[in-house]
Amino acid sequence: MSNLTAQAEGKPKDWVPKGDLQKVVTPEQMFFELPREKLFITGSEAAREAIRRANVDVAISYPITPQSETMQQAGYLYDDGYIKEYYRGEEEIGVMSAMSGASRAGVRCLTATAGPGLMRGLEAISSWPGARVPLVLLDMCRVINTPLAIQPDNIEMSFLLNTGLLVLHAENQQDFYDYPLAAFMVSEEVDVTLPAVVSTDGFFVTHARGPVEIPSEEYKLPPRDGWRSAVPAMDNENPPARLSRDAPIQKSNFISYHMHASWQQEVFAAVERSAKYFRKYLNGLVEVINPGAEDFIIASGSAVSQAREAVRQEGENGRTVGLVKVKCLRPFPKAEIIEAVKDAKRILIPEFNQAGWMQKEVCSVLYGRSKAIISDGPRVFGGMTMPTEMILEWLEEARKRTP
Amino acid sequence: MVIQENLLLQRVQPDGQGGIQLLYKVNQYGVSAISRPQEEIFMIHWEVDVIKYHNQPNIAFEPCHTTELASRPLRFNNDKSLNEFLEKAFKYFAELETLEQLLPESRDTTRKSEIGR
Repeated sequence: MSNLTAQAEGKPKDWVPKGDLQKVVTPEQMFFELPREKLFITGSEAAREAIRRANVDVAISYPITPQSETMQQAGYLYDDGYIKEYYRGEEEIGVMSAMSGASRAGVRCLTATAGPGLMRGLEAISSWPGARVPLVLLDMCRVINTPLAIQPDNIEMSFLLNTGLLVLHAENQQDFYDYPLAAFMVSEEVDVTLPAVVSTDGFFVTHARGPVEIPSEEYKLPPRDGWRSAVPAMDNENPPARLSRDAPIQKSNFISYHMHASWQQEVFAAVERSAKYFRKYLNGLVEVINPGAEDFIIASGSAVSQAREAVRQEGENGRTVGLVKVKCLRPFPKAEIIEAVKDAKRILIPEFNQAGWMQKEVCSVLYGRSKAIISDGPRVFGGMTMPTEMILEWLEEARKRTP
Repeated sequence: MVIQENLLLQRVQPDGQGGIQLLYKVNQYGVSAISRPQEEIFMIHWEVDVIKYHNQPNIAFEPCHTTELASRPLRFNNDKSLNEFLEKAFKYFAELETLEQLLPESRDTTRKSEIGR
């Protein structure tokens, strides 16, 4: 906040925003080189620590469970001067539209939502990639359909996969600290210039504590350079500003259809170009445990944590089970998955949703490239639990079906 | 941060209801500490049980409510109180092992439960 605003809000005249006292470091230093301290905090608190170090210019919030706590924490950061502007929007379409406007103005923007809020904002969200607006949306997944519940269910992520957004899926509190920072940096790369969503499974990550290793709060990422972008920022000092780079694209004629098609092709090409940056900042688009195994589990989000324990218990009993943790859904790590499961005979895909969007993604990649039998589950939804035993039982069944 | 000494395993809570389980081990005894998701951050707490490990290669255990440490599951509202209990428990387990070695036969001090795998 500005010093005038700060004084109006009761700060002393000599108040200095704490963000101004932070030292800018390179992404490489932030992600890999600075010493880290281990904390035991919730996912919402982990997100707060990421935002503290992300050099955010504008944060716009609108409450919805289980996301509200994170943006409440962002409010505290604004009060301390780590975020320059912060306000509560009128509802999600308003918030997501304002995010687009703020990003077009060339500043670093953050918002967060969950389940039904994501659905409400989807009209504006799906226009972000075409507008080439770098920003980060934190998405804390919950049930979206009737009968309504506030428990974890990530079916909402399936609505994001084909919009041109970059989409990451955090497994735990550590990921929910690391991924937003990486998402900011990648979304603002010139040859990417796209919005990014970091999803996580609500409650299991946001409202539970876990170990998180973070560097000192005296460091922050470099600021966004609005002019270093595939689509230059609007110059609001010199109106009129042009929202669309090429005016004919907004007219319904033959040329506009071609322009729209080529524009969309470029958006999805930019999604693929982001892979090299995510590989660098996330240490790969996937994590593979026990490569070469005949039994494999492919999962993202909380399902990975449950699968890890299943893999460990199988190991205790002398059975090797492989695990592919998919960190990044867009771009989807096709080559990595094909390579990881090349020797697999059986593949399980545990998911926290009814639709089985990960299973469909994996099947589309492995069709004609793998001889493995891919199980259609296990799946839980609506807030159901996925005990480790469920994955172990599915593994046993898969072995019986395909010896 | 919670104590890392004698930490045998840190895993997702296997029942699938979210949260984390820390398993500590000193000789044949140990402590299970579970932190689950709660609707409000201030409600998050530690569910703690004294446990006795089975004498087998796999990690398997049962709650043990016959020690002087606890006759029932315990609840701690913060890391500090958990750490204090752990330090006390580690000393107790070390002494208990010495005492049990003095006995002609070790007594079965555990009872069956569904918590152990």
